[in-house]
Amino acid sequence: MRLIDGPVSPGTISEAVTKGRKNSDCGAHSLFLGQVRGDLIEEKQVKAIEYSAYEEMVIMEADKINKSILSEFDDVKTIEIIHSKGLVRAGEISLLVMVSAGHRDQASKACAKAVELIKDKLPIWKKEVFEDDSRQWKQNE
Amino acid sequence: MEISVLFFGVLAEVTGTQRKHYLSIKSFGDLKHRIEDDFPEIMHYNFRIAVNNKIINEEPLLTHGDEIAYLPPFAGG
Repeated sequence: MRLIDGPVSPGTISEAVTKGRKNSDCGAHSLFLGQVRGDLIEEKQVKAIEYSAYEEMVIMEADKINKSILSEFDDVKTIEIIHSKGLVRAGEISLLVMVSAGHRDQASKACAKAVELIKDKLPIWKKEVFEDDSRQWKQNE
Repeated sequence: MEISVLFFGVLAEVTGTQRKHYLSIKSFGDLKHRIEDDFPEIMHYNFRIAVNNKIINEEPLLTHGDEIAYLPPFAGG
């Protein structure tokens, strides 16, 4: 698990895929990318999200997520999680989850489960930044 | 004992601080009262409390140097 400043860049995504490919006993990689939505809220456009995190605890909880996925899905070999902190503009990527497994079925199921656990367990907070620079805290639905 | 208290998300904003050190703390209950006296506005918010990175469900026994964190509902992803 890594927390990075700003958006998850195309270069970082490509590096994650390249790293996953080195695992020659994997036949499937399931990749989830979370993107900042430019929602319209009460006639104001979201232009970015500002993330903050309890970094130490994020790393510890991500490690628990890793272990729980590996114990539930025996065909899964590796899990890569990258989450942004700081400012990420609408249309940019703030979360990457890549699960590599022997076969596609467990890769996609484990990836979906990991995303749910990330949203539920990681101490990360976000504030929507609107076009007029006003801000408001946002909770997960 | 000395305890560090961290505030995150909206709670860092309403308390105006991210970290505060408390000295001469006798117990978790004592610490909670002192925090509520300093920042009564936090009682209007939902939060969970972690001790040394672990969320607690019951009143913990604190030891010198522990780190307490006030955590509003998570919103990652």
